[in-house]
Amino acid sequence: MTQIALSNLGKKFGSFTALAQMNLTIGDGEFVALLGPSGCGKSTTMNMIAGMVDPTEGDIRFDDRSILDVPMSRRGVGFVFQNYAIFTHMSVRENLAYGLRAQGVSASERNRRVNAMADLLQLSPMLDRRAAGLSVNILQRLAIGRSAVVEPAIFLLDEPLSNVDAAFRSVMRSELKALQRQFSQTLVYVTHDQLEAMTMADRIAVMDHGKLLQVGTPLEIYNNPQDVFVARFIGSPGMNILEGTIASSDEGKLVDLASTGRSAPLALSDRAASQGLPEKVLFGFRPEQVNPDPNGTMALPVNFVERIGARTILHLGGDGIEAKAVLDNQIAMPSIGDILRFSIDPKMVRLFDPVSGIAIGGDI
Amino acid sequence: MNGVSVKKADIAVLPQDNAGSEEKRLGFWLTLPAQCLVLFIAVFPILMQLYISMTDWSPLDGIPWYRAYELWIGFINYTDLASDSRFWAAMWRTFLVMIVCVPIQFLLGLGLAVLFVDEFPGKRWFYSTLLIPMMVVPAVAGYMFFLLFQSGGPVNDLLSLFSASPVKIAWLSDPSLALVAVMAADIWQWTPLMFLILLAGMISVPQDQQMAAVLLGASWGRRFFTIVLPRMKTIIIIALAIRTIEIFKIFDTLYIMTGGGPGVATETISVYIYKVTQQDLIWGYVAAIALAILIVLSVISAIAISKMSKGANAR
Repeated sequence: MTQIALSNLGKKFGSFTALAQMNLTIGDGEFVALLGPSGCGKSTTMNMIAGMVDPTEGDIRFDDRSILDVPMSRRGVGFVFQNYAIFTHMSVRENLAYGLRAQGVSASERNRRVNAMADLLQLSPMLDRRAAGLSVNILQRLAIGRSAVVEPAIFLLDEPLSNVDAAFRSVMRSELKALQRQFSQTLVYVTHDQLEAMTMADRIAVMDHGKLLQVGTPLEIYNNPQDVFVARFIGSPGMNILEGTIASSDEGKLVDLASTGRSAPLALSDRAASQGLPEKVLFGFRPEQVNPDPNGTMALPVNFVERIGARTILHLGGDGIEAKAVLDNQIAMPSIGDILRFSIDPKMVRLFDPVSGIAIGGDI
Repeated sequence: MNGVSVKKADIAVLPQDNAGSEEKRLGFWLTLPAQCLVLFIAVFPILMQLYISMTDWSPLDGIPWYRAYELWIGFINYTDLASDSRFWAAMWRTFLVMIVCVPIQFLLGLGLAVLFVDEFPGKRWFYSTLLIPMMVVPAVAGYMFFLLFQSGGPVNDLLSLFSASPVKIAWLSDPSLALVAVMAADIWQWTPLMFLILLAGMISVPQDQQMAAVLLGASWGRRFFTIVLPRMKTIIIIALAIRTIEIFKIFDTLYIMTGGGPGVATETISVYIYKVTQQDLIWGYVAAIALAILIVLSVISAIAISKMSKGANAR
């Protein structure tokens, strides 16, 4: 059990910056997901923690001890690879015992620990089978067991579910989460799948283009994205972002969205109010918050109706504006070409600076 | 029962086992003509040899080969072979070259592959240079080593640097040293091939498995001997089999360097066959020798293939 602290961590490959100014502290026994699209620097971060890649800037500390000089084989990091990297020329038992053997653990102790791990992961019936040709969920358990048996301080998992088909992924997700509770170890999980991050992680670190954009619990990230990218990336579909101008009315400030209409008066937090608002803003709202309302102040034409079972996704927009609405099937559904009139609960509106993309005033 | 269950009607639609065997049978008939042709090409020369080896036929007798039965002598060529001390000496020499050269080439090739599997400055240049010996025509390599090992040649000059008096070893005319010079030439020329094959094998060992081993605390040696080498098993067997069989056929470089001499000191099996064919023209006997060698090489290949298929199953 170890706390991991990344400070000003950076990695350049020649002139390409894979990661810059990464500051993140991962607590003891915490499950943190590094989430972002491919090429965002999440795997680079993970490989630097493991020691496979040397950082060009900054420091990595395990419990306040810098580990940059510690070679990969001495870091005590359990690493589960994307394709599990099982030694297929060995038996399941040899795979489990590999780390203990490398560390010179005595034969009797080794047997005891391998058997205990096999019991825990339900691998006992196949201990003496060759690892080649085992099914994916067994391979995943074996990969975790092989790392866990040497009792690493921290666990790193690199997209372990990306090779698994969708139906099986939910089974594996719950299995993984249960395993993490069992081992209660610090765990860093790299993924590009927000569903995995949202369902399993204690905290999510959202990254893009080598930058850490936001760290928070899944609900914080979902409800209060600190950045336009995070807002668009999290949620399925992501948050709608429309360009608007701040205008005043008798009831307070609101956002003029040009052809789309105007928002209801904003429910500004004290901080946002004291900070003052820029003239132009990005007006963000979740597709789930679109509330069809004949008296609504906003309206957009319906381009496409996508039925996904319990709910329906409406693709709205025109004139360079794009938005989506997620509606329950219970209500009367507009058809293509109709104008959808709607309102948004002011408390659910998020504003962003159009230049920096950063959220204005934090929580509104 | 709820959930998905397979109905009886569905089972009939599922592919049955005998459908597969029917397909196999059709495939057999379709490929039969080609298989016969290949078999004929491969087997005919061997059968012809077997036939000739049972006779005392020679091209000088003026009888076409297919009428060689007129000179039928049965197994006499084979019984002669069994008591032919020159043949057994040549066999032993060939074997000696094999057990010295193949391990040295393997270890050198493996060592070079370990160096070249990682990046280092100038790698491409060194790599191309290392492969040059392999591309030299064996006859030319023979002349090169013939010159190198002259008593006034560069090898002796080099050794002289380390000794007080000038070294004048007569490498190629000393019966106990000539074979050493021949082995040196073979190692020089064919280590690159071993290196090339082993490097290809080493590069194909999955990186993540090696990383996984290191992350589990494995030292360089442990990673090399428990992950890299076992995963290279198939390619190692191929490399060893190729070189073993090739050395059995060693001829051109050797013939130019020593001509099999002094005396018969470097006479390997191929040189012996050549001499018997060219000098004595007893082709029936030559056919018997060739068949004996074919059997030896077939056994080596069979062992290699069975080891290889075992290795492939382990994957």
